[in-house]
Amino acid sequence: MTRYIVRRVLWGILLLILVTALMFVLFRILPTGDPARLRAGRNASPKAIAAIRHDLGLDKSLPAQFWIYMKDVFLHFNLGYSYYSNAPVRGLIAERLGATLSLMLGGAAIWLAVGLPVGVLSALRRGSRLDRVSMGTALVFVSAPEYWLGLIALYLFAADIGQVKIFPGAGSYVGLTSDPWKWFTSLLLPWLVLAAGSAAVYARLMRGSLTETMGEDYIRTARAKGLGERRVVLRHGVRSAINPILTILALDIATLLGGAILVEVVFDIHGIGLLAYTAIRHSDLLVVQGTVLLGALFVVVANIVVDIAYAYLDPRVRYS
Amino acid sequence: MSTGAAELWGGSGPARPTGAGGPGGTPGEFQFPLPESGVAARSPLQLFWRRFRRDRVALCSLAFVVFLFVVALAAPLIVKLLGLPGPNVQNPNLTDSFGSPLGPSLAHPFGVDQLGQDVASRVIYGTRVALEVGIFGTAVATLIGIVIGTLAGFYRGWVDTLLSRLIDVVLSIPILLLGLGIGAACAVRGCVGGTVQPGLGLVIFLIALANWTYIARIVRGLVLSLREREFVQASRALGASDARIMFREIFPNLLAPIIVYATLLIPLNILLEAGLSFLGVGIRPPTASWGQMIAAATPIFNTAWWYMAFPGLALLLTVLAFNLLGDGLRDALNPRAAR
Amino acid sequence: MSPTRQLAAAAIAGAFALGLAACGSTSSISGGSGIAVAKGVQTPRTEPQSGGRRGGTLTVLNHTDFEQLDPGLAYYNIDYEVVYATQRPLFSYKPNTFSEPSPDMASEPAQISGGGRTITVHIRKGVHFSPPVNREVTSADVAYAIERGTNGNVGNPYFPSYFSSLVGAKQEIAEEKGGPFPGITTPNRETIVFHLTEPKAPIVLAALVLPLSAPVPEEYAKRYDAMKPTEYGNHQVATGPYMLKNDSAGKVLGSGYVPGKSATLVRNPNWNPKTDFRPAYLNQIDIELGGDTTVIGRQVLEGSDMVQNEAPAQPTVRLAYEKFRSQLELSPGAGDHYVAVDNKQGPFAKVDVRKAFWAALDRVAMNKARGGELVTNVMTHFIYPEIPGFEQAGGLKGPRVDYNDYPQGNAAVAAKYMRLAGYPSGKYTGGKALQIVGSNESPSSEDAEIVNQTLKNLGFATKLTLVESSVMYSKYCGTPAEAIDVCPNVGWVADFGDPQAVLDVAFNGKNIVSTGNNNWGQVNDPEINKAMEAAELIVGTQARANAWAQIDRKLVARAVAIPFDWDKQPSIESKDVAGVGDLWNTGSWDYSFTSLK
Repeated sequence: MTRYIVRRVLWGILLLILVTALMFVLFRILPTGDPARLRAGRNASPKAIAAIRHDLGLDKSLPAQFWIYMKDVFLHFNLGYSYYSNAPVRGLIAERLGATLSLMLGGAAIWLAVGLPVGVLSALRRGSRLDRVSMGTALVFVSAPEYWLGLIALYLFAADIGQVKIFPGAGSYVGLTSDPWKWFTSLLLPWLVLAAGSAAVYARLMRGSLTETMGEDYIRTARAKGLGERRVVLRHGVRSAINPILTILALDIATLLGGAILVEVVFDIHGIGLLAYTAIRHSDLLVVQGTVLLGALFVVVANIVVDIAYAYLDPRVRYS
Repeated sequence: MSTGAAELWGGSGPARPTGAGGPGGTPGEFQFPLPESGVAARSPLQLFWRRFRRDRVALCSLAFVVFLFVVALAAPLIVKLLGLPGPNVQNPNLTDSFGSPLGPSLAHPFGVDQLGQDVASRVIYGTRVALEVGIFGTAVATLIGIVIGTLAGFYRGWVDTLLSRLIDVVLSIPILLLGLGIGAACAVRGCVGGTVQPGLGLVIFLIALANWTYIARIVRGLVLSLREREFVQASRALGASDARIMFREIFPNLLAPIIVYATLLIPLNILLEAGLSFLGVGIRPPTASWGQMIAAATPIFNTAWWYMAFPGLALLLTVLAFNLLGDGLRDALNPRAAR
Repeated sequence: MSPTRQLAAAAIAGAFALGLAACGSTSSISGGSGIAVAKGVQTPRTEPQSGGRRGGTLTVLNHTDFEQLDPGLAYYNIDYEVVYATQRPLFSYKPNTFSEPSPDMASEPAQISGGGRTITVHIRKGVHFSPPVNREVTSADVAYAIERGTNGNVGNPYFPSYFSSLVGAKQEIAEEKGGPFPGITTPNRETIVFHLTEPKAPIVLAALVLPLSAPVPEEYAKRYDAMKPTEYGNHQVATGPYMLKNDSAGKVLGSGYVPGKSATLVRNPNWNPKTDFRPAYLNQIDIELGGDTTVIGRQVLEGSDMVQNEAPAQPTVRLAYEKFRSQLELSPGAGDHYVAVDNKQGPFAKVDVRKAFWAALDRVAMNKARGGELVTNVMTHFIYPEIPGFEQAGGLKGPRVDYNDYPQGNAAVAAKYMRLAGYPSGKYTGGKALQIVGSNESPSSEDAEIVNQTLKNLGFATKLTLVESSVMYSKYCGTPAEAIDVCPNVGWVADFGDPQAVLDVAFNGKNIVSTGNNNWGQVNDPEINKAMEAAELIVGTQARANAWAQIDRKLVARAVAIPFDWDKQPSIESKDVAGVGDLWNTGSWDYSFTSLK
């Protein structure tokens, strides 16, 4: 078991390095806006630009730059300096992480609380009107682009521009520590939008998974043993059906922690997604790399956790 | 985006990241009924069609998809028949003195945009982009996925390990960010020596890059199980080459599941293009693309709701139709995964 | 200086008939230019210069972050809002003028002698630096401030354009040490003398309104200017009524300025109101950066004690005009917008093709996309309103040539010039596809699409790309090597109220540089270059205005670029703010004159 864990973790680290390297090379090679020129400002002289380029280390060879960057990141946890904001990347990310966490955890809570029960009910009452209506609604939400849902939500319900002024509008997000009530109300609409699509997905997943599980033999056995239906469903059915969903959930959360760009852009929430988006538009390469690295880190960790969990539950996997 | 892909798998199979999807039997993984010898049964195609025919929702969605193709192909004709101006006809008289566009009217049922272009006309022409992106992007992704998945599943060993690790790497990269970066870089003159031009070419390139891994994983799992079957062993005993086995024996059995998953991938790709256009990378103006129209409508959506609503609705209906179609195909091809 | 009243009289006679369809009658003529400003809206000329009470804190909401706050580097209208509240250049403009500078750090107007080769300026007494420097300002501080413009670590963007005629300056620019050079001498603590190699005193004197001439204490700044790039901006001291909040060691970064988040201006304790024409009513200015411009607009209009100090979003301007008219200010002469075309190579190297494009472009539609007649005016030549020379160059209607006479475009005239260019069908038949690079932000993106369609109608094949504005300038349009054919979203705001500052950098062939090029069309006409060389040396506002107006007419005759918009820049304030806008800085609210009611 330990060997398996070690193997997975080692591969995880290697994966991180590979992804970082890939993004590094990609963004250096691709003809993006020149960060030195952008930092120097619109009217800088060629000499000033060259000085800034030297200062930022961009005049060194690509392998040299890469080596310095990798050393900084993996040995000193120093993600570099943002050209655009004149601040260390690590600090910028730390600042923004709270917003993304708030957005994601709240959204996840809602979509699980809504999606899973709906999925369970639909699975149990397959073919009924409840099933068809809920699955139909779910499919509609899955099919709509989430940023469009966000815009529609703002158009209908935002306090400043909406038709029915309920929720605070875009840009009203504040940190939890500065004003808890405003933090909460400003996140309600983004949570709902984020959760809408995902709740639908998880409802469908749960329905499918539970349907499969309920067809298994051991369920029949449990019923034959005389256990109450509710116990059968919850204790045996759902518990088993939820496994694949947890896998997907772990990956989803990890990916969203890397920044839900679309929702953050529409609602102007200063999280990691918006940071990455702004950074790309300004060719702020180190910030982009930092956010990519962070996102990859989350995904890798989630994968490792899931793999270890599976290996624990199913010994066959360890030897693959 | 990942929740969409999870939807694609709908189960426990390929979701496991190490790719240790074992041979058949894991719940939710696709099972294809193979023809049995002896009694002359109906062919699988006939069986499939019978089941599909009974599913009314799937039939409706198929009809809608066909309708979309018709609209895309005959867009100029339709626009003319409806008496609408072309999608790129700018008309400053249709904006008020502040430059704000006018809303829906008899002459312009979906209103106009900031340049006075007719929204209905652009929505109709947008069908072309959506279908081009959806079909071609998916096709390229599927092709790459099939090749890599087959190689990985067939040869196993270090080939499999290498390719699976490659898939891991690609899956760890945030696609929207990558798309933004590449899009920004290839903005004016294109990349890779001009082969990847900004606009449709770039979007298809990004879509293929983003999605081939899903198909590859699925194909790999299928090939792993198929290669153990008797007909493959028999073929090998007869001395067939690897290529022959892959093409003549394995590949035909992949066709059905690939069609299902590809169909389910199309709506994801349409949404991906819309997302990229919304973020400013993607189809170049003045070409009408639904995602780009929503992006252009964003600064004024609180007063000019029509410009945001109608393209979004078109997106919703198109994606919904493909989703339903894909669901219908999957259910019709695999009666065990009951509705 | 500039007889703007004279201009006003002439302008009213020939005023362009403007009707704002949505609101009926026009307007108050805004002094200087004949540009009509909608009724009920303030302008920097008409608003009262002193309105409210002493004290209070003004909150400023800006979506855009500053580019540079170091007075030796700042070169952008949003930066100027802070820099001119905290720094005192030798001369500066009062809010309601763009052509008559007042002595600021100088105690009286300068004296020009030596046939235009010597400028003598007397420094005001009793002006002190803010903490932690505290001491009195001397002429040596002004000398150091201007000299550091040649320091490679500082990299001042306009020193070569305006100050290279100082003796020894050219060599200093090449060496980049920022050292003292013979062109600037300080015979005593209160006098500074500029020695020039050529009789270019008028332009050098005019350029002294730029922040580079604001005093910098050498003994304090030296160690920061030795860093690459200089850190003086993050540790700057002030001479104006306000200062960026700093700690006891003088560090501004982190308290007075947090990049991307906020800036805070507090009163400069060492500022003596008796030495300054600024009233400085406010106690503090809190600037919050970032956020959505549309949201900011609403907050400012509906809230209190707030202003937005940048161009508000279009829906905001409309909302302000319809519901909060007294809180809206429009400032004519806020700059222009034109389409730059490549004069050097490609289809637009032919003057007739350029004229055809000019004739074909619907300038009214371009302006409608930017907000209509409320905030724009059809542009017909290159010197813009409020700048001397505007009237002589043709005023509102501009030179009367057929390609200029039809603001909504005229396909027949366009076809005529295409035929003259050698395309008998009246449309382009060459093979080359045009590269058009525009900005992806609304309304510039809409203008780019209108340009794209216009060129398509002329028979061109086009490739339109919309990118980030900063990338558009720095990577594509500002780099001649990229050879972009059309840049639809370029514009210019003059550095000071002299026509040379409008025309020279953008259209003089000698100013074409390989990066950061502002002569976007690579205009290099020998006749025009020569005329500009000569006009640079002319002394006297009226004479200069006439000479540069003639150059403007030549630029129109050669159709070097296609003008379309003279901006009237909007600014908004809350109902209880008595805002005073700077005519010379696109109407931005001046923190030293604004007060709360």
